[in-house]
Amino acid sequence: MSALLQINDLRVTFRTRYGEVTALDSVSLHVNAGETLGVVGESGCGKSITALSVMGLIPQPPGKIAGGEILLNGEDLTKVSEARMRGLRGSEVAMIFQEPMTSLNPVFTVGDQIAEAIMLHQKVSADQAMKDAIALLDRVGIPSPDRRARDFPHQLSGGMRQRVMIAMAVSCRPKVLIADEPTTALDVTVQAQIFDLLNEIQRDFGAAIVLITHDMGAISEMADRVAVMYAGRVIEDASADDVLDMPLHPYARGLINCIPNLGRDDDSLAEIPGVVPPLHLLGAGCAFADRCAHKAPRCAVEKPLLINHGHHPAACHAVEEGRL
Amino acid sequence: MSLLLDVQDLTVRFALPRAGLFAPRHYLEAVRQVSFQLEAGKALGIVGESGSGKTTTAMAAIRLTESSSGKVLFEGQDLLTLTDEQMRQRRRDVQLIFQDPYSSLNPRARVADIVREPMDLMDIGTMAERQARVVELFKLVGLRPDQLNLFPHQFSGGQRQRISIARALTTNPRLLVCDEPVSALDVAIQAQILNLLARLKSELGLSYLFISHDLGVVRHVCDDVAVMYLGKIVEKAPKKALFDAPQHPYTQALLSAAPSLARRKSRGYVRPLKISGDPPSPINPPKGCAFADRCPKAQEVCRLTQPALQAVGDTDVACHFPG
Repeated sequence: MSALLQINDLRVTFRTRYGEVTALDSVSLHVNAGETLGVVGESGCGKSITALSVMGLIPQPPGKIAGGEILLNGEDLTKVSEARMRGLRGSEVAMIFQEPMTSLNPVFTVGDQIAEAIMLHQKVSADQAMKDAIALLDRVGIPSPDRRARDFPHQLSGGMRQRVMIAMAVSCRPKVLIADEPTTALDVTVQAQIFDLLNEIQRDFGAAIVLITHDMGAISEMADRVAVMYAGRVIEDASADDVLDMPLHPYARGLINCIPNLGRDDDSLAEIPGVVPPLHLLGAGCAFADRCAHKAPRCAVEKPLLINHGHHPAACHAVEEGRL
Repeated sequence: MSLLLDVQDLTVRFALPRAGLFAPRHYLEAVRQVSFQLEAGKALGIVGESGSGKTTTAMAAIRLTESSSGKVLFEGQDLLTLTDEQMRQRRRDVQLIFQDPYSSLNPRARVADIVREPMDLMDIGTMAERQARVVELFKLVGLRPDQLNLFPHQFSGGQRQRISIARALTTNPRLLVCDEPVSALDVAIQAQILNLLARLKSELGLSYLFISHDLGVVRHVCDDVAVMYLGKIVEKAPKKALFDAPQHPYTQALLSAAPSLARRKSRGYVRPLKISGDPPSPINPPKGCAFADRCPKAQEVCRLTQPALQAVGDTDVACHFPG
């Protein structure tokens, strides 16, 4: 079965004052219909750039899709015209952003904004679009939706604004829904509501969800499969159970072990020393080598490839050599 | 164990703007009769969602926010009755780490000067002694002496938080107020800072008033936990009791909402306890229990009378139907 969304060897570069840097380096991912893919990593790992590439929202220049393909139902999004992309964006692939306040227009009511999205992609009257918008607000759990539709974004709480974003994103029943850290600005009880809502939406609409997060706990609750990213590359890619129960790459292990867990009293957390290196300083070797406890001379000179060395694919020399 | 901080019935009111020139003045009670104790060498976590009053409570307890009534006994002395100069002298015992390491460090000052400044202000030691102390603090928090003369923007978020911690430790405080010290950091960096805070607590015998919305972080650092909702403490317990047997439905909801590796989608995990809606507005708080509108257990009495904190085992809980 070919995947609904298939990214092959995607390479994205940006022109910066340090010269050309590679933000994404041979990233390959796929999502099947009705499935949730979790993309996890620290800030600066390329998670959001991957999402923006799929949406055709990489600013070009300074950005450039330098290679690879993004296949949505077999159609390569890196090659389509801007007009075609505009038709796909919203109707086939939609995105929920991190900060709902800055991604909604403050001078229009939320009902108008959802109705606008509907009218862009469907031939319906303004009245019908507004009715659909209200039905969607009801669907995402906003109380008294007909009144709320006349509210401006600033009149809603953060959780409600994120619900409006979700209503807008699913208004045209997209096949792929990308959620870029949809709950970082929200409180935990509201985060739980949004996660539950995303799961319901997926059941109802059968959409594939790409959930971008830095939280392995969120991955555990939401994802069927996981891609762990580091410095612009996918370094581990497997089912959520495989990655959570048997992480191979030292970075994936670190991400899981460094979470203060509700279920245990531990005296000391596992640390990942140091920080993600700036992209313009990446050398020829493994980008994680400087933070890695299992570093060998080979790691400094040769980039490990994402290959299945037994259990599931991981990009690590130590895994390949059985040193872990 | 000696009592370091004893906060009694602390209340903080903010005046709201008048609707008109002669309209009556309304007040918002951000913190309502909060009491808690902190023993020397222990860490008390204050947990709650945004708007629950956790930061205001801590700021009022160290007199950075004016409180309208209550007592704050620090080593037996009521901080709220001190003169400004007495309070200024006392501040060397009470220091603070902020949430955002990007805005809490002066971008134009070298980090050695930032860390030394509390000693300059308090007139502690000679210049040479102060500089030696800065070097010592740098080592203590895991920074290198060759970084002394850099500016804050040359550091990563985690390193900046280390600088904040060094600055807070300069005057040898007894109490460190940590206001969401890791929530602006990446998960991998969070672990570094949490381990550092745990190490400093045991090495220096520090006490923490630790504010966070993240129960996992609180569980890692704190000995006791107080859960706040709409300006009140709804549950207060030793860590183990709170996490093993939460009594208040809000605490239970918080625990069920926090993502955990133990909950797997593949094993068909469905959240058992769902709560809907947002907290009510503190401007016009409900007459009864503030959580009643979102609570699965709420009955008539919850909407009419406010539950008082009562002891259930080791736990103090403000609920008509605890457990």
